[in-house]
Amino acid sequence: MGVLAVILWSLILIPAAASVLIAMRTEKSAQTVAMISSLIGVVLALVAAAQFDWSNSGAMQLGTESGIPLIPALGVTLSTGVDAIALWLIILAAFLQPLMVWGSSTAINENKRSYYGWLTALFPAMVGVFVARDLIFFYACFELTLVPMYVLISSFGSTNRKKAATKFFLYTFTGSIIALAGLVYVAVFNLNLDPATFAGAGEWNFDIAVLQQAAQAMPLGQQGLVLFAMMAGFAVKVPLFPVHTWLPLAHTEAPTAGSVILAGVLLKLGTYAILRFVVPFAPDAVLEWAWLIAVFAIVGIVYAGLICWVQRDVKKLVAYSSVSHLGFCILGLFALNMTGLQGSVLYMINHGLSTGALFFCIGMMYERYHTRSFNDLGGLARKMPIWAFFMGFFTMASVGLPGLNGFVSEFLCLIGTFQSGADGIDGIGGTFGPLGPWYAAIAGSGMIVAAIYLLFMMGKLVFGPFREPDGYEHHGPLPEDLSPREIGICVALAVPCLVLGLYPKLITDSLEAPLQQTIDIYTGEDPALADANNPMTVALVPVDRTPSVLFEEATR
Amino acid sequence: MQELASNLMNITTLLGASGGESLFTYQESSGGPGWLGLIPVLPAIAALICLLLLFLARKGMASGKSRGPAYLVLGFLALSFILTLSGFLMWNGQGKPAWIVTLFDWINITWNSGDGEQSLIANFGFYFDGLSFLWMLFVTFLGSMICLYASEYMSGDKGYARFFAAFGLFVASMSCLVLGDNLVMLYLGWEGVGLCSYMLIGYFYTKPEAVAAAKKAFIVNRIGDLGLALGLYLIYTTFGTVQYDELFRAVAERTDAAGSPLDFATMWQSWAIPCLLMIGAFGKSAQFPLYVWLPDAMEGPTPVSALIHAATMVTAGVYMIARMFPLFLMDPDLHALHAVAWIGTFTALLAATIGMAQFDIKRIMAYSTVSQLGYMFAGLGFLTTTGGAYHVFTHAFFKATLFLACGAVMHGFAGQLDLRKLSGLWSQPGWRITSVAMLVGCINLAGLPLTAGYFSKDMILAEAFYTPDSLIHFSGLMGWILLFTAGLTAYYTFRVFFRVFVGPEHYEPGDEAYDHDSDETGEESHHPVEEHGDHHADHFHPHPPGWAINLVLSVLAIGSILAAIPYFVSDGNDKSKGWVGDMLYSSSAFYKSPAGHADKHGNETAVLVPADPVVLPASFADEPAAAGAAKGKVPAADAWPVRDQVEAGSILGMDPHKAMYYISAVFGLIGILIAAYLHGPKGPAGLFIGNRTQAATSRADALLPKLGPLPRWAQNKWYVDEFYEATIRLPLWVFANIFHAIDKLLIDGALVDGISSLPKAFARSIRPLQSGVLHSYAAGMAAGLGIILLVVWVFSL
Amino acid sequence: MTIASLAQDTIAAGMPLAELYHYLFVAGVLFGLGVIGFLARRNLIIMFLCTEMMFQAAGITLIAFSKYHFNPDGEVFVIFVLTIAAAEAALALALVVLLFRRKETLDASAWAMLKG
Repeated sequence: MGVLAVILWSLILIPAAASVLIAMRTEKSAQTVAMISSLIGVVLALVAAAQFDWSNSGAMQLGTESGIPLIPALGVTLSTGVDAIALWLIILAAFLQPLMVWGSSTAINENKRSYYGWLTALFPAMVGVFVARDLIFFYACFELTLVPMYVLISSFGSTNRKKAATKFFLYTFTGSIIALAGLVYVAVFNLNLDPATFAGAGEWNFDIAVLQQAAQAMPLGQQGLVLFAMMAGFAVKVPLFPVHTWLPLAHTEAPTAGSVILAGVLLKLGTYAILRFVVPFAPDAVLEWAWLIAVFAIVGIVYAGLICWVQRDVKKLVAYSSVSHLGFCILGLFALNMTGLQGSVLYMINHGLSTGALFFCIGMMYERYHTRSFNDLGGLARKMPIWAFFMGFFTMASVGLPGLNGFVSEFLCLIGTFQSGADGIDGIGGTFGPLGPWYAAIAGSGMIVAAIYLLFMMGKLVFGPFREPDGYEHHGPLPEDLSPREIGICVALAVPCLVLGLYPKLITDSLEAPLQQTIDIYTGEDPALADANNPMTVALVPVDRTPSVLFEEATR
Repeated sequence: MQELASNLMNITTLLGASGGESLFTYQESSGGPGWLGLIPVLPAIAALICLLLLFLARKGMASGKSRGPAYLVLGFLALSFILTLSGFLMWNGQGKPAWIVTLFDWINITWNSGDGEQSLIANFGFYFDGLSFLWMLFVTFLGSMICLYASEYMSGDKGYARFFAAFGLFVASMSCLVLGDNLVMLYLGWEGVGLCSYMLIGYFYTKPEAVAAAKKAFIVNRIGDLGLALGLYLIYTTFGTVQYDELFRAVAERTDAAGSPLDFATMWQSWAIPCLLMIGAFGKSAQFPLYVWLPDAMEGPTPVSALIHAATMVTAGVYMIARMFPLFLMDPDLHALHAVAWIGTFTALLAATIGMAQFDIKRIMAYSTVSQLGYMFAGLGFLTTTGGAYHVFTHAFFKATLFLACGAVMHGFAGQLDLRKLSGLWSQPGWRITSVAMLVGCINLAGLPLTAGYFSKDMILAEAFYTPDSLIHFSGLMGWILLFTAGLTAYYTFRVFFRVFVGPEHYEPGDEAYDHDSDETGEESHHPVEEHGDHHADHFHPHPPGWAINLVLSVLAIGSILAAIPYFVSDGNDKSKGWVGDMLYSSSAFYKSPAGHADKHGNETAVLVPADPVVLPASFADEPAAAGAAKGKVPAADAWPVRDQVEAGSILGMDPHKAMYYISAVFGLIGILIAAYLHGPKGPAGLFIGNRTQAATSRADALLPKLGPLPRWAQNKWYVDEFYEATIRLPLWVFANIFHAIDKLLIDGALVDGISSLPKAFARSIRPLQSGVLHSYAAGMAAGLGIILLVVWVFSL
Repeated sequence: MTIASLAQDTIAAGMPLAELYHYLFVAGVLFGLGVIGFLARRNLIIMFLCTEMMFQAAGITLIAFSKYHFNPDGEVFVIFVLTIAAAEAALALALVVLLFRRKETLDASAWAMLKG
């Protein structure tokens, strides 16, 4: 294991070094170096997948067992390791990276060193989030993703880029700080636990597994605090209604590759963090509050979906659709059963592919017309049939057409939500869980809304009477329809969409083991699960929850 | 006639042979030959090749000069049909186990729920039984025929390869829908055909109406799909499986030996599941609240209308209800079937009234499709899956014929579809085959005696009266409504025929206004008409159909006639239900009529009930049943079989099966005679009572003003579209705008920007302190010093 | 209580002629005068002189404590401060001259360009 840890570390260090190299080298070589680095990333991700023991996909693998101590006094170590969930997301990020570099060939013509340097620097930060097994390491990487993204938006975006970048940075940063407070609270709690009962307790320790058992030992009230602190940070990142408003702005203003990576991976950091921290850390509080989060998710699904419908800017439409789509992802997560969690993780990957691809398609169109408004464009299928095909393809993937990837994840999320907490006649169909049929039924209306706005987009932009901006004349290096490079990008994204739509087992099989661990926290015989009978918990913080006491506290 | 009589004998003599078995049979299953899995794959491969052709050889293929793509798809479809046929011949037989062929694993998740293993398994597997074979036979056959037709119809079109790619994909999706061995596969096909329908309705994508119609079709279907999806979730949550085989076994286990549903009947799921599924069926099969998309779907090319929007896709709802019939029967009060029957009846009537007032012949056919689908649904509601399925079967043939004949007219007269502008095609050169095919289709649709449509419709109508009122309330009333509708159907059908095909010769070319692809690029114009026919009305020459269209029309016309044969051919024991009954007998759609008529299988079916009694889990046996019993809701062992004892209904005191042969014929003939009187030309074709001499006018014109606003309302489709626009789309749109405003102003504006502006506001409030004047800073410093001294002093006291 | 009476009180008590207390007292007075002058006057040169006064008050305090503790650090420090103060005075006066040249006035309130 020790030797194999090199793979994950090189996934972080080589692109990091490459980004420095790009900054030092010439403008001309910037894209080449970025491309080479991203291809190395793909190779390394594949090597990691090859070395990964898929039969034991729930275990943290390829990592450094004890980690490299960073701040020994505080127990902060750089420990790494991936299970199947993290590995798939790394593969997704690595897969998107070369496409983004390739896709920027004609879009970015100046300041290439800065652009490709920051684009490359984004990758190690994202990988760091997925491989970290130490809380501080995780958090540092989580925040580090903001910097490259900030620069990409503020320097290479559209007209309103400064505001968008600032909002993006401050909004997500503020949220993350609150989340950090919640996480540190757990570390402090761990400090006060008895090391005899809880391994790794009684001293500063930021190992995620250690903190997980500590957090589970918390009484309900404190878990609730931790839950809301963490959700404050991670929900912004997802983004969950009503803390979503930075996303449409950031998406609209970001350069194409920025939007792609934002939708493709950065949003998934939020859902991934919820899966890794919120759900296992605060099981009692999650059971208590899942309904509320689910309600926000459902409201987001319908609300953002309807907003999509009245957008005039196609990129904004797709950005809002992300809000709507990720509502399903959150819903599946909080269904707390295998189908829902499977759907949720699949959703992370599938949304990255299909929405990322949609942003690519829109970027390709934008490079030709320099507008994204429905008022100026229409019926482009006549002039750009190949583009229209891919646009239709990815729209259908996004709308959840069976046979393409979006369906499987949406279906699983909804069926998970539906059966969560429901009873089958023999107890065979229902599962444990805090949600239920009504949640799924209302969220399901999002399917209709999705059809409305995505077909509205297709009907305006791709089909219908042909319309170009006034005085538009075709010129520039790009052909009228897609160039082979652009077709290559689209095909590269379309193939996994189709493959995952027809053979999701590729991923779902490997997700069973890690997600089973998550479910076992709720349904299994997990001794760490906090309950009223846990002497540790009671001894530590006796909570009197009688109304009179609460009233006194409130009025004091 | 001998056979007919013996059939009637069967019906009348086989009363009261039932009782003591399960409501339906659970059919065992076994693995089938693997090559059957190719049936849906072949059309998909054809579609893929067409797509590649589009990409790689765009110039040659796209222009439509080569019919390569059509013949390619045709070949694959024909192969698919041959495979289906050989599979059917190998399998053929009642009571045989269904075949399951699994291609590969699709959604396949297993986990430990804490108290046991749970799984969600929906593989790419196909389920071959009587019902799916029946459907696949006509889907692949009609698919091949219509593909051949389209090869000529679409020639010269710029999107030729695109059309056939979507065509192939449609047949593949339809096959998945019909053959899928689980509900998720059905859903895959369900949405897949929806997508193909979307692509093909919007085929002329520069035409705004076509785009809008395509969008409408997809979205309205999605509403239904949501119902289906929720039904699916509920089935999974209730039974823990979505695979037909396991599901039907689980349902069978829920009925006791006397055929009464056990505890399950007391659960809300027993009515919720069928009701949700029903909504899905209403969407896909264009039933009342959700039918509005189908008439608009006529914007698509005519072969599409024939195949998708008449013969195959729209019958998916009927298929699904038939497939899920066991679940529909589990509800002791049959809520869902009541709704199906009523909605079907109402839709049949509503669509027929609209159809009577239209002038666009393709639209009339569209409404007649909606109306006929209503019959099929009503049939299902009257518990005759056989009637419904048989009507699907005959309708597929004669409606495809009708549409293709209309398409030939449209093709030849530059898109002319107005029945006021065409007349007397019968005697025009080159139009004889079309006219004959049209006539064959019309007599079937009108239900003229001894046609296939007559027999299949009668099956449903008779059942309406036969089904006891205690089982489906007011089924007799619905029967009369449907009979009346049959008269209307005959009228509007022959209105088209009398006006367009007989009478004085006259034609005006259509504008073919929408010349969607002859854009500024100057490429060859898309529509064949423009190659052959001339646009100028002065010397416009109609363009009679070529060999492919004529061949297909002939084959389908003959097929429509021969579709009556299955009514008489039965190798099964129950001759009264014919071949379709035999087919359905070996499927989940089989239903032993409650009133105990017409079933000789008796003990055979009982064998199929699992031999050992199902041991119910303790929790299940105790709780709901006990709780239900306490409320007095559990049907006692003898409460349910009341179905077996009820009296079969009758019509005017006669046995419905016998009487219906005459009654429906009378209604049909009256309708035709009225059509002949109002629209028929002078002479024999007008049955000697018509007197029309002009293309554009008829006796009906004089009659219309006397009916008040009704004809206008009917012509405007009873303003249902406008109603939906005002009550659903508009409010939703307003909400969307309100949400958008809220998002912009309240959430982003007031909350996010508001909160983030707080520090700024605070900073601004203390900004005046920075006056820039040296003295004010000094004073501040001095004051600070003073305060510090003061504090020190106070604390040192 | 006036300053004079304070001094008288001290002498009358028969204390040593100059104890730490007295030095601190003088330094305090000097500082107070400096503050008052700085706040009250508008003339830049006067204000500058007032700051010098406050400087010297601090210096006296330092030296007084230095003597008191028998620790020469304070005296050394004052010498440094004086040196630097001299340099600073030169610089400051030069600045004042420059400012005067700009606006032909020595009024400090004429300069408020750092207004926020």
